Amino acid sequence: MKGRRVVITACSAITPIGHTRAEIVDSLRRGVSGVKTLREDHLLSKFIHSQVFGTVDYPIAFDFRRTFRKTMGPVAYYACQVAKEVLDQAGLPPEFVTSGRLGVAFGSTHGSPTVQREIYKTFFGASQSEFRAIGAVDYLKSMVHTTAVNITKMFGITGRVISSSTACTTSSQSIGFGYEAVKYGMQDAMLCGGADEYDTTTVAVFDNLMACSTAFNDRPRCTPRPFDRQRDGLVVGEGAGAVLLEEYEQARKRGAVILGEVVGFACNNNGGDLILPNRAGISETLRLGLDDAALATDEVDFVSAHATGTKMGDVIEAQAIHAVYGGGPFVTGLKGYMGHTMGSCGAIETILTLYMMQDGFIAPTLNLEEPDERCAMIRHTMRLREQPIRVASIQNFAFGGVNTNLLIKRFV
Amino acid sequence: MTREQITAEILNIFSREFEIEQPGLDKDLRETYEFDSVDAIELLLGIERFLKSELTHEEKKMAMGIRTINQIIDYVEGLVRVRGRETHA
Repeated sequence: MKGRRVVITACSAITPIGHTRAEIVDSLRRGVSGVKTLREDHLLSKFIHSQVFGTVDYPIAFDFRRTFRKTMGPVAYYACQVAKEVLDQAGLPPEFVTSGRLGVAFGSTHGSPTVQREIYKTFFGASQSEFRAIGAVDYLKSMVHTTAVNITKMFGITGRVISSSTACTTSSQSIGFGYEAVKYGMQDAMLCGGADEYDTTTVAVFDNLMACSTAFNDRPRCTPRPFDRQRDGLVVGEGAGAVLLEEYEQARKRGAVILGEVVGFACNNNGGDLILPNRAGISETLRLGLDDAALATDEVDFVSAHATGTKMGDVIEAQAIHAVYGGGPFVTGLKGYMGHTMGSCGAIETILTLYMMQDGFIAPTLNLEEPDERCAMIRHTMRLREQPIRVASIQNFAFGGVNTNLLIKRFV
Repeated sequence: MTREQITAEILNIFSREFEIEQPGLDKDLRETYEFDSVDAIELLLGIERFLKSELTHEEKKMAMGIRTINQIIDYVEGLVRVRGRETHA
């Protein structure tokens, strides 16, 4: 079904390797890691084997009025900050922002775990008379769609709200579903993305599944190691990313700076096991994305792999990439720089890809020194390449068997 | 409890919980200070803590039409009177 063209006219990310575009590009070019020692949380951190975390440890000058702050947990601070930066950058007319023609697609893995912990403390540690102190505000701060609706409130956005919460595909779905909403005319623009705050619960879950990296606790920047022989698991991280998607003709008429074009999206499910990666399911979502974009495999010259650095996941993904693309496109696992930023990873990896696309370089997979022979059949980016990207595929896969594939084209 | 004491505590709640300093006592809270439904719920919790007494559903419903600080003070005065009567009964 042919629809309208959808372009990206603004983007912003808070990542373990920087906040501004210049900081992030510099980290990618210089191979700077944002993985640090896991912070103490006075609850779980001392029981977790994996003592590394993709950390946002620089100050962010949040400047939100009380009327907005009161319903925001840490995850909403991240979300609203990148949303604010995107809207500032885009320069949309104020009357358009509140017109109902702009919507929001934004999510997180599970709302605000920090606020949820406070609620649990009251449940398990307080007297019954204090139970009533768990009120509407706690819910608004902690709920799964807290990021999306705090954004709508802050900017008076009245269009549709989509709040995906599918773990690692949360924000790639946000962009994909936002793309479809604009493409098929339900909205003229969508503010899309995802965020996740510092949280050790997620680390503990992956740690218990023995999926987390533990061998580099004394050298955090050396892990995760996507596709590398020495990889020993993923590293959980925090961050946020937002992009503004606009219908092309509108963007052109208002003279917007166009950063790239979303030309395709696919999302499917493995239809079975909720944890194990599935080659058939992943391969299918890669093909479906290409079909949606009406692109041949040889037109894609860069793949941003999900590549979390787990033993099996990376092998299955490499097999799927090879099955669909052969050894054609350069493949980079951007999580080597910052770990797995969970609900925000799809948006962050899209934004990093846009930066590389604009600046004409491809960052290598950080910590990939010697590819695992089972992953070696694809074209790994082993060193910084000064090379243009015309079409990029951003792949993400989540617990629950959810797979996504976004196709982004350089705008010329 | 005097009206002055109630006023002082309500202003204290507004400063502490809502960052609203020295509000006009007859100003429309929504229009002037962006006081909204979430704030109203928090205010009722603050009043319960102040009175050390749970509000009934009927009492909470009575608060729905409140628009100004003076109306809040009137409301709390009423609650104090009812609780005084109950104590003496």
